[in-house]
Amino acid sequence: MTLIMVVDDDQDLAEMLGIVLTGAGYEVDLVSRGDEVMPLFTAQNPDLILLDVMLPGLNGVEVCKLIREKSMVPIVMLSAKGDKQDVVAGLEAGADDYMVKPFDPSELVARMKVRLRRSTAEVSTDLQIGNIKIDQIEHSIIRDGQIIALTRLEFDLLVALAKEPGRVFTREALLSEVWGYRPATDTRLVNVHIQRLRSKIEIDPENPKIILTVRGVGYKAGVPGSPQ
Amino acid sequence: MSPIKSPLKSWRSSLVFRVTTTIVSLTIIVIWLIGSALETQISSGIFDEKLRLSIADAQSTARNTQIQLTFSPYQDKAALKLIFTEILAVPPRSFESSARELAVFSFANTNSKFKYAGTSNLVDPISIPESFREKTRKSTATQWERTKLKYVDGKTESAIVVGHVLTIKGAGKYELYVISSLAQQSRTMSLILQYLWLTGVALTFLIGLITFFVLRRLISPIRDAAKVAEELTAGNLELRMDIQGEDEIASLGYSFNEMAVSLQQQISRLENLSKLQQRFVSDVSHELRTPLTTIRMASQVIHATKESFEPTVARSSELLISQIDRFESLLTDLLEVSRFDAQAAVLEIEEVDITALVKETIDYLHPSQDRIIHLWAPDEPVMVDIDPRRIKRIIRNLIANAVDHREDKSVDVQIEQTENEVSIGVRDYGVGFKYTDKKLLFERFWRADSSRARTTGGTGLGLSIALEDAKLHQGEIDVWGERGRGAHFVLTIPKFAGGSIQSKPISAQPD
Repeated sequence: MTLIMVVDDDQDLAEMLGIVLTGAGYEVDLVSRGDEVMPLFTAQNPDLILLDVMLPGLNGVEVCKLIREKSMVPIVMLSAKGDKQDVVAGLEAGADDYMVKPFDPSELVARMKVRLRRSTAEVSTDLQIGNIKIDQIEHSIIRDGQIIALTRLEFDLLVALAKEPGRVFTREALLSEVWGYRPATDTRLVNVHIQRLRSKIEIDPENPKIILTVRGVGYKAGVPGSPQ
Repeated sequence: MSPIKSPLKSWRSSLVFRVTTTIVSLTIIVIWLIGSALETQISSGIFDEKLRLSIADAQSTARNTQIQLTFSPYQDKAALKLIFTEILAVPPRSFESSARELAVFSFANTNSKFKYAGTSNLVDPISIPESFREKTRKSTATQWERTKLKYVDGKTESAIVVGHVLTIKGAGKYELYVISSLAQQSRTMSLILQYLWLTGVALTFLIGLITFFVLRRLISPIRDAAKVAEELTAGNLELRMDIQGEDEIASLGYSFNEMAVSLQQQISRLENLSKLQQRFVSDVSHELRTPLTTIRMASQVIHATKESFEPTVARSSELLISQIDRFESLLTDLLEVSRFDAQAAVLEIEEVDITALVKETIDYLHPSQDRIIHLWAPDEPVMVDIDPRRIKRIIRNLIANAVDHREDKSVDVQIEQTENEVSIGVRDYGVGFKYTDKKLLFERFWRADSSRARTTGGTGLGLSIALEDAKLHQGEIDVWGERGRGAHFVLTIPKFAGGSIQSKPISAQPD
């Protein structure tokens, strides 16, 4: 059974999340303090973490950084603040997605499903983007013989772009493809993750060759096999 | 100082230039007046002195000649002629010496035997005007007049002529004229004048220079103050004026600095208030949102099982959900408004195609009902630097309003651009509004007709937020409306970040 770790200091909200997620068929583990996350995480090895930003002990952004040092598990931040700096801080710390309270529980579940789905379901040939090889079966990417570690979301983002090399993806298109969003949501999510991804796979992130920006529209994949 | 400025501009912009110019002009006028007065005084003094000397000289010459003639042993014409020749034998003038010439004429009625007319050194007799000779002949006293001394060779200079009548026994009356040249005096005078004007020019220059430097010295603290004030305006609140001494200028500096200190305190107080406000908004946001999330989830869990409820309970759960939605959008709008009030709202500019953005918004609002909303836009993309979240929110609000009030008629959305501006017009042909309510539309929680508005979903803050969002972009929202004829809302924004609206591609007033 899929185990979800819910980290929130608000007991009632955590309990309610427990009810909703149990109803959706997940196993739920509730944590109320930031500094309790790491020991439990190591012990239980959850499949997804719902993480509040404001936490006693250790705040959500810090917790997120600690988890990312050890694991590429999907992390969805729960934020009461819609302000850019909080959202961006969470995403830069390694969160895959965020939900601003008050969120629609059905949307939360929908997004969690996207994060949990196996992208290996649609096994196909290896993809190439720039000088990067994507092995969809092994779920790994290789640049010049070196394996680069990506979160599952970053992997999905890269695969989405690489699958259709000529296509220019708008931010909205990427949102619905990778995050499972309906349109008219915040596109900052895309910008931050593209930047994170670039910092991992591009040789010069300031002058990207693999993920190209199409000004005023969105992003597209670099030509396969082109040298960086 | 800037190197080259037109005089007119300097006159307007520089106090130093203005005052210096004025003082120099006044100095020139005063010096000219004084110089002219001095010139008149000195020249008349010199002339008077020369006149006195000339008259004395003429009188003594006349006396001597009279004596010589009276006691002459010769009483015939030859002797007389010899005496006159002797008298007229004035040595020719040298350049430096003051010239003095003589002339003798016999009266017209003199016995022809003794007629005589002669001048010294080839002086032209016309040097002595006939009118003056007439005057001399009629008078016994000494006469004088200014004249022009002319030589036969054409040389001319100004002179004084003094006339006398000589009476010679047995021969008759003769006119004796002594002509004193004023050449020496003219030279002296022109020399004096030269120095006078030279002094005048030097004085003017000196006064101008002194005025300029004194003024600059005086003005420099004022200039400093202006510079510091500019810096303060630009937000550099730490800057103060340098103060030297304890004079009036220094006290200006002290007052100025005190003002700056109090300004800084006021501003930091307001900044603190604003920070407090932002902090409060953020806290409220957190505190309200968490329980709202729980309520929402609870209501949905309840709603999901409504089939097993009594009809009234089922309906209650529906109302609960819709009111939670309403509460949430109200909370979101309120937080947005207080962010504007705290001036904490910032633009996140991106370059986007506004046509695509409008299309997306229309699709989002009415994915299936695109028959009711007609979009008129240029074929090519219209690229603009905007915060897409805010502009989308404005457009969503305007279109949603139009759809709410359209009364089964269509809604036209139009995009027009000029080189630097883009307008998005949203026109409906529904209920419209009273034109006098135009300003009130943007007031918070204002409703044209409360009974009607309550059925439509708005929070009452939408247009107010739209206006604030437009203002953040240096844009404007123009409105036209008439009862029964519908309404026209036009958002105009500059295409490029930091620009301003010069013209409006769409006017709110329909044709």
